[in-house]
Amino acid sequence: MDKIKKILGKDLELSILVGITLVVLIAAAAAFGGSMYSGRNIQSMAFQIPEFGFFALAMMLSNMVGGIDLSIIANANTVAIFTAYILNGTWSFGTEGAARVLLAVTAAIITSLAFGVFNGFIIAKTSAPSLIATLGTMTFIQGIGMALTGGSSVGNIDPAFAEFGKAVFLGLPVIFWIFLAASVILGVIISFTGLGRKLYLYGGNPVAARFSAINNEKMSILVFMTTGLLAGMAGLIILSRVNSAKVGYGDSYLLQTMIVCVIGGISPNGGKGKVQGVIIAIILMQVMSSAFTIMSLSPYTKKLIWGIMLIAVLGLNFAVTAYSQHKTLKQSMKNLQGALQK
Amino acid sequence: MKKKLDQYQKMLMVIIIIYSVFVALKNPQFLKVQTVFDIIKTSSTTMIVAFGLLVVMISGGIDVSFMAIALFGSYTSLYTMIKTGINNLAFAFALSAFIGVCLGLINALLINWLKLPPFIITLGTQNLFHGIMTTFISDKSFGSGVLPTCLHQFGQGTLFKIYTENGSAGLTVSLIPVLIAGILTYLILYKTMLGRGIVAIGNNEESARRAGFNPFIIRLFVYGYSGALAGMMGIVYAAQVNALYPNKMVGDELMIVAAVVIGGTKITGGQGKIFGSVLGVLIIYLLNSTLILIGLSSSWNNLFVGAILVIAVAVTSYQERVKNRNHLIFTE
Repeated sequence: MDKIKKILGKDLELSILVGITLVVLIAAAAAFGGSMYSGRNIQSMAFQIPEFGFFALAMMLSNMVGGIDLSIIANANTVAIFTAYILNGTWSFGTEGAARVLLAVTAAIITSLAFGVFNGFIIAKTSAPSLIATLGTMTFIQGIGMALTGGSSVGNIDPAFAEFGKAVFLGLPVIFWIFLAASVILGVIISFTGLGRKLYLYGGNPVAARFSAINNEKMSILVFMTTGLLAGMAGLIILSRVNSAKVGYGDSYLLQTMIVCVIGGISPNGGKGKVQGVIIAIILMQVMSSAFTIMSLSPYTKKLIWGIMLIAVLGLNFAVTAYSQHKTLKQSMKNLQGALQK
Repeated sequence: MKKKLDQYQKMLMVIIIIYSVFVALKNPQFLKVQTVFDIIKTSSTTMIVAFGLLVVMISGGIDVSFMAIALFGSYTSLYTMIKTGINNLAFAFALSAFIGVCLGLINALLINWLKLPPFIITLGTQNLFHGIMTTFISDKSFGSGVLPTCLHQFGQGTLFKIYTENGSAGLTVSLIPVLIAGILTYLILYKTMLGRGIVAIGNNEESARRAGFNPFIIRLFVYGYSGALAGMMGIVYAAQVNALYPNKMVGDELMIVAAVVIGGTKITGGQGKIFGSVLGVLIIYLLNSTLILIGLSSSWNNLFVGAILVIAVAVTSYQERVKNRNHLIFTE
């Protein structure tokens, strides 16, 4: 019993999260039964997770360094628009078939990295707060997409690329495997390498990090570059699933990624959180949105529920932190009294 | 507001003047009184909330829920008026502002209690308020036929009219709430101890606390004030559109944040000018309404606003950073 308590207590927030997820999973099974856990629904959830998951990973990274990246969705949409223009032959430079797809993917990676570096450069070199800097780049990147398309959607893309979004490998979609691989790589880097340590230090206290020989500017450019790349991946996945690109797709993801990060134990003040937590939170979120779809809730009701969830989770986190601090304080007082009596 | 303009505001003025001259040369249509009055009318609603947001940002916070508050306040009060048959403009403003204050206080309490970035909390309450309104009150749209007639008169009313050969152009009555909000904000910020406290907690909360200011009270006031202005703005907006929709306004918050930041307000708090915010809002609306005159479609709007915002943020932050580094202050 003590052992279990110790394991649970070691990472209280993660244990609570796992508990809540299990409760929701069981409740969903009880309420919807077969329609929730049928093979078809699980597979459709696996198709929906990656695009949202990449956004959540991007938001997680920027939150971990105490910042926020508002430009991820604009970035994904504009990258998708560029790629769609190459894939439908407008900018294909005479390439055909596989060469065109290769060119499109390369262009997508380069543009998303460029947007990310642009963010990182402004934040690192001018010390602008990331909230407002990325608000500017968000409007700007959205503006590029808007000026190119005039607000209409770009479709008619190469069918070979659309196949990629539907492809299935070992029973699960290929895009899901890509998402899994990306999160494992990110998780390993964050938890087991020196770079990850530096990331936590930089997020926890940037001034202390600066005077501990950590190159803050390099860190911040690196983080926002990765954020941009992850957002670009989400853009590619959206394009392959929806078969068209347009400004303003998935605007509601911004709030949802924020909720996922907070539920997953990422502190918006920086320096705290793990990839595992976010992955579990993404699954929880997907099950809930699936349930909402089955219940056919109106978008307004969904909005209400997401809003309540964000505030409630923030409140719960606050209460848990206060409780554990109180407990540590009490324990150390006891130890002190014991030592004094001796 | 006869204060000496600082360097930054002069720069904004110069940009506005150069751009206006450019547009006027390209398309003489711009020089009509009608165009100027139209810009004033469309920007008047934004101005009101921009003042509220300015006060919040000077105190070091940020509020992205004010549009949801404006919608909640105006929708609820007009809905009540339609249902009960009250036809009184003052009642609409009072009820809407009162609802705004209540919702603003909820924001302040949550921010003070949870001690987390205000952006995330107000993003949550934005969805919460909008969800509560549409779920528990109503999510129907109302056309001009059922709306109280006083609202219609207010929306169409003009202070005075100028007659030209191609018809008349009137200056909108909506300018009055803007002026009231602007003067009130000026008086609060510069002539009261509370206003000094707002600037003080924006600069350094701990120092302000030790100097005897109570950050909790100040925060309650700041978010309440922003909520009240948002409530008023909602009524002005509904009067101008002359219809009541359950899904308008929400989603435009970030554009107003952009306007206030372009006006030279520091997002970390402690610095911001009323006239600067007016200029910021004007720049955005000038672009909005003149891009068509110089031969570009309105799709280019975001590109220009984004570019101006990025440059404004980069310039102000870089100046701050150089100043800080010279004094060996490290903020990151």
